[in-house]
Amino acid sequence: MAEPAASLDVAMSSLRLKVLEMGGLVVDQVTTAVHALLDYDREAAELVLARERQINAYDTAIEAAGFELLARRAPVATDLRAVLAMAHVVTDLERVGDEAKRIARFALATMARPGFDPSVAVHRHLRHMAHQSARMLRIAIDALDNSDATAAHDVARMDREIDREFEAALRELLTVAMEGPGQLRGTIDTVFALKSLERIGDHAKNVAERVVFIVSGEDVRYSRPGPGPLS
Amino acid sequence: MAASPSPGAGRIETERLKVAVHGERAAAAATSVKARASNLSFYYGNVQALKNLDIEISDKRVTALIGPSGCGKSTFLRCFNRMHDLTPMTRYEGSIRLFPDDIDLISKDVDPIEVRMRIGMVFQKPNPFPKSIFENVAYGLRVRGMRSKAQIEEHVEKALREAAIWDEVKDRLHTSGLSLSGGQQQRVCIARALATNPEILLFDEPTSALDPIATARIEELITALRGRVTVLIVTHNMQQAARVSDYTAFMYLGELVEFDVTSKLFTNPAKKATEDYITGRYG
Repeated sequence: MAEPAASLDVAMSSLRLKVLEMGGLVVDQVTTAVHALLDYDREAAELVLARERQINAYDTAIEAAGFELLARRAPVATDLRAVLAMAHVVTDLERVGDEAKRIARFALATMARPGFDPSVAVHRHLRHMAHQSARMLRIAIDALDNSDATAAHDVARMDREIDREFEAALRELLTVAMEGPGQLRGTIDTVFALKSLERIGDHAKNVAERVVFIVSGEDVRYSRPGPGPLS
Repeated sequence: MAASPSPGAGRIETERLKVAVHGERAAAAATSVKARASNLSFYYGNVQALKNLDIEISDKRVTALIGPSGCGKSTFLRCFNRMHDLTPMTRYEGSIRLFPDDIDLISKDVDPIEVRMRIGMVFQKPNPFPKSIFENVAYGLRVRGMRSKAQIEEHVEKALREAAIWDEVKDRLHTSGLSLSGGQQQRVCIARALATNPEILLFDEPTSALDPIATARIEELITALRGRVTVLIVTHNMQQAARVSDYTAFMYLGELVEFDVTSKLFTNPAKKATEDYITGRYG
């Protein structure tokens, strides 16, 4: 068991710092994985797969730190909300890491597959969705760093944009599939890559919602579109 | 063919869930008021220890008073049973009205002995009388004029059971109360207070002299008293306040800083001063 921290502030800062570091790594995993897919970069894809262990190590370490903080410090108020929320944030980040790994695997499979790559038809969407989802993650992680509940609005708006772009990309891929049914495997992989990016947007939104909970104590996860804080 | 949900069924389910989730606060709002302090100030000579407190104490609920040493929480507690009347050069301002009678507990027209008959108190250190366990609990009943031996025995047993100590002392009721452990002595003191059927029970740091096991038993007892008697407890132990109370009041420098449902105050306090205190960042 780790040594007791000098103070609650030190323990909380240490926990938060670990989550931010993990967040930074996860954002890099997403951008690297999409680069591997779009630019046929085998080395980048392998780097993503290799770094997956680091993400898992952060997940384990942060969960242990939060568990110990709860047991030994019995945090209340903002500290309690932060410990609980960060446990959920880490789960979201770990899942983003899984999506990045999935994209990297699609990239390797695409490079190994001879012939036409159907993902070319939606490269524009893939690039834009990757850019947007990574940006959403950065905004959410910065919001966590700065205890900024207002950033969640931007993230929610961007998530809706990604959802729309996902639908548009699917329609284009459908056309490709109908025109060249021989590329079904590649088309399915591309759908999964698009879906991974769409899910990364959802995870970023979850992170931003947890930041709102930490800052204000308000649970906005299920607030309906309209006058709610994340509408 | 499976029945399809009627239009709006999902919304009704959501509303039900909301009611369940917020049930604690809703239930809290529904309780009646047992006592109300209005514009209450208290002075030790020229020193003002309580500054214009306004607070409502809910009937048959547990209200915890927290705050740093010297914030006035014990002073406030002792106003309820007029303990300060025993200290020279003290004075009250404002009122503490007890319901449903609507009498002002601190009015000079109200006899403090009468007040103490209706409002029991348990102190920091167990203080059994140097008498038998039985006599400790029977004492208040006799003071109130109960003469029937059978009736007294019945009330003593009931009080000891309510204080969760009957099984431990039933075979030695006539041994000295001082022969018991600290935790047992404290529960006998609680039984003594409960025997006279008080309307409010005041606890002034009731577990600060007890070990964790004895503390846990007293906390269980306080939780069990909820719904039967109005409890007001002063504690320095934040977790204790969080565990046993329905409402918590945070006091600082003689003022009431924040008062809310305990779950709200310990998860999302409205005032920074409260947050700083309960998270240990005070000072």
